[in-house]
Amino acid sequence: MIEFKNVEKKYPNNVKALEDINIQIPKGEFVAVIGLSGAGKSTLIRCINRMHDITRGKLIVDGIDIGKLRGYEIRKFRQRIGMIFQSFNLVTRISVLKNVLVSLVPELSAWRKVTGIFSREHKIKALTALEQVGILDKAFVRVDQLSGGQQQRVALARTLAQNPEIILADEPIASLDPVTSKQVMNDFKRINEEMGITVIMNIHHVEIALEYAHRILGVRDGRIVYDGSAKDVTEEVLDHIYKGREDVMKEVEGEKVYV
Amino acid sequence: MNLVEKQLYHAPRNNRYILLISAVLVVLFAWSITAVNIENLEQSGMSIAGSILKGIISPDLDLLLATGTQGVAYLLVETIAIAFLGTIIGSILAIPLAFFSASNVVPKPVAFITRLLLIFIRTVPALVYGLMFIRVTGPGPFAGVLTIAVISIGMLAKLYVDAIEDLDTSIFESMTSIGCTTFEKIRYGIIPQLFSVFLSIMIYRFDMNLREASILGLVGAGGIGAPLIFAMNAYRWNEVGSILIGLVVLILIVELTSNKIRTKLVRG
Amino acid sequence: MYDKIFPPKKIVLASGSVVKEKRSRTPIILVLVIVGLILSFRFTNFDFQQLMSRWYEFFVIIGDMIPPKWEYFPSLWQPLLDTIKMSILGSFLGAVVAVPVAFLASTNIIKAKIITMITKVFLSILRTMPTLVSALIATFIFGLGTLAGTVAIFLFTLAYVGKLLYEQIENASMEAFEAMESIGMNKLQAFRYAIFPQILPNYLSTSLFCFEGNVRYAAILGYVGAGGIGLLLNEGLGWRDYASVGMILLMLAITVFLIETISEHFRKKLT
Repeated sequence: MIEFKNVEKKYPNNVKALEDINIQIPKGEFVAVIGLSGAGKSTLIRCINRMHDITRGKLIVDGIDIGKLRGYEIRKFRQRIGMIFQSFNLVTRISVLKNVLVSLVPELSAWRKVTGIFSREHKIKALTALEQVGILDKAFVRVDQLSGGQQQRVALARTLAQNPEIILADEPIASLDPVTSKQVMNDFKRINEEMGITVIMNIHHVEIALEYAHRILGVRDGRIVYDGSAKDVTEEVLDHIYKGREDVMKEVEGEKVYV
Repeated sequence: MNLVEKQLYHAPRNNRYILLISAVLVVLFAWSITAVNIENLEQSGMSIAGSILKGIISPDLDLLLATGTQGVAYLLVETIAIAFLGTIIGSILAIPLAFFSASNVVPKPVAFITRLLLIFIRTVPALVYGLMFIRVTGPGPFAGVLTIAVISIGMLAKLYVDAIEDLDTSIFESMTSIGCTTFEKIRYGIIPQLFSVFLSIMIYRFDMNLREASILGLVGAGGIGAPLIFAMNAYRWNEVGSILIGLVVLILIVELTSNKIRTKLVRG
Repeated sequence: MYDKIFPPKKIVLASGSVVKEKRSRTPIILVLVIVGLILSFRFTNFDFQQLMSRWYEFFVIIGDMIPPKWEYFPSLWQPLLDTIKMSILGSFLGAVVAVPVAFLASTNIIKAKIITMITKVFLSILRTMPTLVSALIATFIFGLGTLAGTVAIFLFTLAYVGKLLYEQIENASMEAFEAMESIGMNKLQAFRYAIFPQILPNYLSTSLFCFEGNVRYAAILGYVGAGGIGLLLNEGLGWRDYASVGMILLMLAITVFLIETISEHFRKKLT
């Protein structure tokens, strides 16, 4: 369960990125965050694993007030939350397996950390994660020889090997073509349904968001302007999320006409 | 202005530029010819050339195949040892210098000063270093090792820097999200990116160092150079022949292998 | 081969899938490198203690070089110019002669294997010869002085540019060449109009790069009597007149830096 209580995020230059956020995300939900670029989608997601610090309010994940975590505790906490990025963020010069193993690094003993020699159990964990996203056969191939879709799956496997309770995804399909996008989204769906992992995803492909997510959060100018089931999203709702300002203008004009 | 006019306008300007460069080249060429004076050309030149050729074609097989410390094989091994050890030491010394001259790691002025230092290190000829190190260690292959180490630093650091400035830092973002410490980020985020590139650069430099090590004998810093020079100065051309054959074969073998390994490292 | 001696490790996953992991080559490479290191330490009489106790001697010499002997400057002028002239002439002639030689070495143009083979072997041998050695041999034939140095630089440039050039020719697109041969041009003409334009920028860039390196080499050729500033370097070092050596090195550094900057400017334009 993730709980935002009156969360506000102000950047050091006093720009407000998030304001008055009050939401609850129960375990196992598939949430898509939509909105214009710069609306605060990415900030919203990054607050959950403390990649960004909030400036006011409370953010509670599974009963932990994450604002109170310090140094080592933050790192420990982050290990429970997986994160996927638009640009995959892999080390392209090494093998797929070695990339997946990176997510197990924090739990290694000191000598293993230095030498980079992983135990059989760790390798099995990583290989299992690769099997879950269907690229087990690529385990010993170098990442730079894979396609974009395959690379995003490696990133997904890296996150799965962490055994997370929540996966945060920041525009995971933005740099993929439509066909591979679907495949990666299907992976997310399977992970969400079969393993019960909560998925919170930023996405600007609205149709895909509506097709896969249970719940849609619409963000505009740092505020949640829509929070509801994907089925209930209509053209008007989308207009409200994406063209909010113009709507207001029209309303004002309308009033002028009728008053 | 349409495209045709644009092209027309561009063409003559480009021509004039090429003409100017050619003229400068011709002048430089004419000027440089004045350096060559043929008066020094000795009459005996042709006959010496003949005997050199004869010596190289009929090498001193005893020397070429000898197994003792005077044999070509031993001298070549010593040369390889000088180049190998020198390359390793130089590669290690070059790493901190490379980081200090990478503009994405240290402030610009620091990077600039380190680069200037590297240019100076690079300009001093190997033979000068050789003579300087002989003052430290006395004549012999040890001085050669130190010389090779120092002359490698400049180029190694320069090539390392390119790799460092190409580092993909997006991996840090995901390692932060995984909960990695700074040490873990360096060990699993930076080192894997640099390792194979650095290794490939080192092998390339080893290849060059082998050639450098083969002439250090000229100043007494060990390797096959000294016997080569002695043989030449004594006009023992068949000895020269056997040493040169050994050297050329060795360098060609090393070059071939190093190219193979490097393609493998780069392509994975 | 390696995989036969050390068979791959089998890893069985919970789902029943079997993954074969090849044995890492790292251990054996590590062992080889360590053995190589130990042998090299032996062969070169590497003595860490000596280095620790006497390393300062190196900096004593550097200390003697600073400040350099400024009044030496006027007498350096001529040999420095000689060095530059040697490099220009040798590089220029070498780069020009490299074109026909590379032409003869390219398997896609010359069909007679024996010719390309001989040319390639010739270039390889020439390239592996250290410049200083060929300069020394040249002094025996052409006498002491700049001519010997120029010849040595010429030979090295020929070998270096020649090799890179024939590699480029062999990688060049052959369609235009074949088209021109089919309309009745001979090999040389077809080469001139179909291949040469493709390789020209790279050829010029390689030649310039080689020239940069040649200035460095030319500086030491005088050491074996092949002309240029190396002769003075040799004298200075012989007399332990390190202030003069410092002056020579300073001049060299400035010259090399200037030439590299100019040449790099043109090379960037070419690519």
